[in-house]
Amino acid sequence: MTQTQNSRPSRPGLVPGVLSVLAMLVLWTLASQLTDRPQTLPAPWEVAARILRLASGGELWLNGGMTLFRVAASFALAMAAGMALGLWMGRSRAADHWLNPGLIILLNVPALVVIVLCYIWIGLNETAAILAVALNKIPVVTVMIREGTRALRPDLDDMARVFRMSPLTRLRHIVLPQLAPHIAGAARAGISLIWKIVLVVEFLGRSNGVGFKIHLLFSSFDVEGVLAWALAFVAVMLAIDLFLLRPAERRANRWRQDAA
Amino acid sequence: MRLDLEAKSFGPRQVLGTLTLSVTRGERLAILGPSGIGKSTLLRILAGLDRQYQGQLQGAERLAMVFQEAVLLPWRDAVANITLPTGCDATTARDWLSEVGLEGHETKFPRQLSVGQQRRLALARAFAAGPDILLMDEPFASLDAATAARMLALTDALLNRTGAGAVLVTHDPAEARTLGALALHLGGCPARFQKD
Repeated sequence: MTQTQNSRPSRPGLVPGVLSVLAMLVLWTLASQLTDRPQTLPAPWEVAARILRLASGGELWLNGGMTLFRVAASFALAMAAGMALGLWMGRSRAADHWLNPGLIILLNVPALVVIVLCYIWIGLNETAAILAVALNKIPVVTVMIREGTRALRPDLDDMARVFRMSPLTRLRHIVLPQLAPHIAGAARAGISLIWKIVLVVEFLGRSNGVGFKIHLLFSSFDVEGVLAWALAFVAVMLAIDLFLLRPAERRANRWRQDAA
Repeated sequence: MRLDLEAKSFGPRQVLGTLTLSVTRGERLAILGPSGIGKSTLLRILAGLDRQYQGQLQGAERLAMVFQEAVLLPWRDAVANITLPTGCDATTARDWLSEVGLEGHETKFPRQLSVGQQRRLALARAFAAGPDILLMDEPFASLDAATAARMLALTDALLNRTGAGAVLVTHDPAEARTLGALALHLGGCPARFQKD
């Protein structure tokens, strides 16, 4: 009794996604029951119970909130700086020639080095933490926006110049709509990279946040705790992607759809 | 407006030679010549899109341009495609849309319009800018004969009504005659206006 007829073949629905998560849970359960040292791989329900305890105790909201704040601040900073730099480098050949070497160096400096240097030069504070994360992300955003800027349509540019549209109107109604797919791509690729780096930053030099908690749990080899914090925060980031970034991307691309 | 051009080159290759061109409200010029002679380059200089030339461009007239393609904002509807570039209000935009026969299409996006309708929208946009001089770069070249004829008649009527001057770049002398434009032939290398 397989269902072969589907009126919308392009949208398979939730079934494959749910099944694949279930399969992973089954595999995890089997592995946790087969291991002879349960503390190295606790069962899924033990981790779930731990998450519930963290949530009801308020600890999850406090530290998760701090991490989320750092993610949001460095994300905003990285997107703003990356878009400005990308637009500039995409528009001006001279700017591209001068800034490109620095961009390539920054792209290839390990995240850890940037974090350590920020903490040493600025101090073990919030500014250094947020700046370190943003610095890791800015070159990636810059490259994506620069490519998008190079592909801007010259005919629309000519039209805007002949009709003497103001720079702000041009940016808002001609440049940004064309860049929207690149901005959405940079945002979605960025948010997942950023929250991973935020954890490292917290691990190394903050006294709250998910990364700090994982640091503590690491010193006591508490795998159950590490998994609980990680999974709880993965859920938060997935929710942000599903309910904030994807709808925004769809709205930006609405004009592409023909009226049926 | 008046252009005193001495020379225009792309790299080592000189495209346009010494030529003078002036046009004012109510006047119509047609720049004719074979492909690649520099007609569009000349129009881009007039439009202020190309400033890399030797010579002088004078005049403070309001300009509008109709391009070879419609060049619309695909992410904005028909009304916004007029109001955003020209700065006119929505009522004026609607008036111009009905003027070119696009009433009922105000909220449609360019993709939902036919090629002919897109061109008429581009024409409405150009006139909504209230130009003293309308610059047209082979605006009818890529249209089928019937659509081109309708567009040409519409352009003629709107130019008559608004009193705007026009510079039409075309390879088709018949278009120039229909518009009643003074024909200037570009020829030679570097190209100059040639006497008939």
